[in-house]
Amino acid sequence: MKLPPNVSEADFTSALKEFASIVGDQWLFTSDEDLELYRDSYSPLWGEPDERTASAAVAPDNADEVVALVKVANRYRIPIYPISTGKNLGYGGAAPAISGSVVFDLKRMDRIVEIDERNAYVVVEPGVSYFDLYDYIQEKGLKLWIDCPSPGWGSLMGNALDGGVGVTLASYRSHFDAQCGIEVVLPNGRMMRTGMGAMPGAKTWQQFKPGFGPRIDGLFKQSNYGVVTKMGFWLMPSPENYATGVVTVPKFHDIIPLVDIIGRLEQSKIVQGLWSLSSPTTGTPAFAAHSGTSSMPTDPKILAILNSPDGVDMNKLDVAANEAGIPFWAANFNFYGPKKFIEAQWDCIRDALGEIPGAQFKLNEIRRLPLPTAELAKMRDLGPLGIPTLRTFDLGPMISYEGEDVVGHIFFSPVIPRTGEAAIEAMDAFAAIVRKYKLPCPPLQFPTAIFERAFLFAVGLPVTRSSVVNAKVREILRELVAMAAARGWGEYRTAPAFYELIMDTYSYNDHALRDCLNAIKDAIDPNGIMSPGRYAIWPRDLRDAKG
Amino acid sequence: MMTRRTAVGAGLAFTAAVCTAGFGAYDPTARRRGEVLAIDALLIDESIAMPRRMLTFIEANKRVLPIVGIGLDAAAQAGLRRLFGQSHAIAGLSSGATLFCLERIAWDHGFRLTERSGQCARDPSDHTCRRELAAFLGGAYLSAASPSPVARAYRPSRADGMLHAWVMQKSGPQFRRSRQEA
Repeated sequence: MKLPPNVSEADFTSALKEFASIVGDQWLFTSDEDLELYRDSYSPLWGEPDERTASAAVAPDNADEVVALVKVANRYRIPIYPISTGKNLGYGGAAPAISGSVVFDLKRMDRIVEIDERNAYVVVEPGVSYFDLYDYIQEKGLKLWIDCPSPGWGSLMGNALDGGVGVTLASYRSHFDAQCGIEVVLPNGRMMRTGMGAMPGAKTWQQFKPGFGPRIDGLFKQSNYGVVTKMGFWLMPSPENYATGVVTVPKFHDIIPLVDIIGRLEQSKIVQGLWSLSSPTTGTPAFAAHSGTSSMPTDPKILAILNSPDGVDMNKLDVAANEAGIPFWAANFNFYGPKKFIEAQWDCIRDALGEIPGAQFKLNEIRRLPLPTAELAKMRDLGPLGIPTLRTFDLGPMISYEGEDVVGHIFFSPVIPRTGEAAIEAMDAFAAIVRKYKLPCPPLQFPTAIFERAFLFAVGLPVTRSSVVNAKVREILRELVAMAAARGWGEYRTAPAFYELIMDTYSYNDHALRDCLNAIKDAIDPNGIMSPGRYAIWPRDLRDAKG
Repeated sequence: MMTRRTAVGAGLAFTAAVCTAGFGAYDPTARRRGEVLAIDALLIDESIAMPRRMLTFIEANKRVLPIVGIGLDAAAQAGLRRLFGQSHAIAGLSSGATLFCLERIAWDHGFRLTERSGQCARDPSDHTCRRELAAFLGGAYLSAASPSPVARAYRPSRADGMLHAWVMQKSGPQFRRSRQEA
């Protein structure tokens, strides 16, 4: 029997017996076969002594069972690790932050508690996936849209709690920011509601985020301080129309005014849909960091520069692209809403970006929604249309690294300034690392504008089943993190193997933030049962043990 | 001539029938458990080109077995949920990438991958693949005594885009039957 840290076999056995009495024997899992499903199949520590694995898993059906389970865990000081659907691949999956934790698997709790078309919100339990909610909305014929990440099998709540993002309008893309009202079971087993939900019979729990007093919803992001059992989300009204538009600019350094001008349009809420960078010159498509695919250009001069073993000389590339008449950058826009609203947005974009010499504009047909099913079937990415898919997995990695099959990825996810200068700096720095380690990804990757004010430069690094190769990849990630931190760029999210590494970069004033989070941990969770170690927030005893 | 699209289309039509009226003429209680592995449905990946003779083989099996077209989109998820709820054993022919996703979805419905043929990926000839799939459908491979589920689980690889034939059986907890009402 695998034991949680600092728990005796007798106590663990007693706790498991009490867990089973709450949920039923069939929902307590201790066999090796069942626990295999709680391993992180993208773990860069797979099969190594440091791989994080569970000692048991328990699957409650409702919030009352969660309350009872937490009380037992607190009494026996059993570390617990709540998951929603456990499909957070690339950032830890279903595996706990420290080995020996009992996974609280909440996917049986899949009730859509309330959905309000008039005020455009939904309240869900942890097991409700994007597929579930989409299906429900279609079935009921509601005029609402969801904002989903690119695999759509995850939980709304789990994705929001882990800082996940989507791809529609700015105000819905940051999923934790789109939440309104949390129900959470604290480590002592007491249930609490945030915001207006703290008032019994409140009629505005999902309509007014601040509530009364300090706004503490953010404390429950990442599940360090409680098990979230319900969460409200603001939904987007179904738009009448959808359109895409492309603006191209000719020169490499045009990225600087391009980003500045689009930024002003976003800050003014004129551009609200997600826009993305691509390059007709390099063949890098929008979202190359995620798709890993590109269509190589055919111009021989451009190809020769791109394939130079010393890296791509952007000045030479700029000249070659200019001679070939190929624009260097394209900004790809998504528009939603009434036809006249889309046309007005496009007019504003034309007026503003028209200041860049050589800019070209193309607004594609404004399409009435929903699009025909046959047309949707042919599209690769349905996220911008509010439709969840798993098409991002379409053909899998199908690549190798150092002679080993790539079985998954871990993300390097720095947040960089929303400027063209920072984009160029990040592209250069990452391309140098790709060349140095011959990584199996396109050397030219572009930042995404998925956050409202900053760029995300997310890059997937390969994970294999070879501990030697994985050790190398872990070192590459360490180098990337150090490179980013030296430039003032911090990661917003990471896989469990790197929690400490990333938290160490947030060290202002001798780690004041970490110390504050730990102090809150000691106050709310004195027995240290709630997701210990997640995002490097530790209870006192494990902090002391770590020195 | 039978095309891949018509085969898949027929599969989807059957799925619709299954979803609205149960398995209809196909009676799951008639499965001869203990003798051969009774397969409730054959799942065919819509995202990958199927060899021509394989399509003929699939078409031939349509008379005795529901053929279900599968994809990685929202429409397919709803159908899969119902299919998993009503089945005990399923066989499939899919890309490795689709299998990776499907296996994880199937776990939530109590299914485990019990057989997987790498033959299709290694030798994508019609004959090899057809023989493997026929063996699965005929029950020639009963749940083999693999040392652990991980040994059978699909692991992404360079063969992700190639065909894999496989069998899954319901043997674990069903986390997701039908969505619970509040």
